[in-house]
Amino acid sequence: MVMARKKRFRRRAKVCRFTVEKIGYIDYKDLDLLRDFVPVNGKILPRRVTGTSPAYQHKLARAIKRARYMALLPYAGD
Amino acid sequence: MPLYELGVILDPEATPDQESGALERLEKIITDAGGDVVNKDARGRRKLAFPIQKRTMGVYHFWRFNAEGAVQEPLGFELRTNDVVLRSLVLNLDREMRNQRKLDRVQQAKIAKKAARGAAAVDAEEES
Repeated sequence: MVMARKKRFRRRAKVCRFTVEKIGYIDYKDLDLLRDFVPVNGKILPRRVTGTSPAYQHKLARAIKRARYMALLPYAGD
Repeated sequence: MPLYELGVILDPEATPDQESGALERLEKIITDAGGDVVNKDARGRRKLAFPIQKRTMGVYHFWRFNAEGAVQEPLGFELRTNDVVLRSLVLNLDREMRNQRKLDRVQQAKIAKKAARGAAAVDAEEES
């Protein structure tokens, strides 16, 4: 029993990257940052996957949508 | 005067004359309205994520400028009607950066507090 408990997989706690790095404004031109939250299929990754806090998820979504409008990111990928 | 950020995608098939002409007209509209362009960032040709008006490439320009809100009307009209401009986006950066400024203020206050505490500790040590 003890062994089994020890071997149990422990998930790493997810943290909000923007809160940690104290990023106040998410620039829609910062593609390196945005790409981390947009997989190749072009969809915005949900909070439950990335751990982004609600306020920042809102800002992030807005930045991604602006980048899409300016043809910097695709609306739909492969 | 708020700080604005303008992003434009220009037609890559336009002649250099047309391109520089369009940019000059935009700048003239801003300066005529009593504003000034603070920063010009020309990213050059870049592949578009999807075709716009059957163009697969675009010439990107990002400007930051200070101007009164009244500049929006003529600027928006020019951006909509100029054929060289494929797409444009104007943001009020003062409004966008509000949270960033708040974070910076908190950070500054923290640093100041830490420095004050450090200085107080030094004083206390000297007295004893």
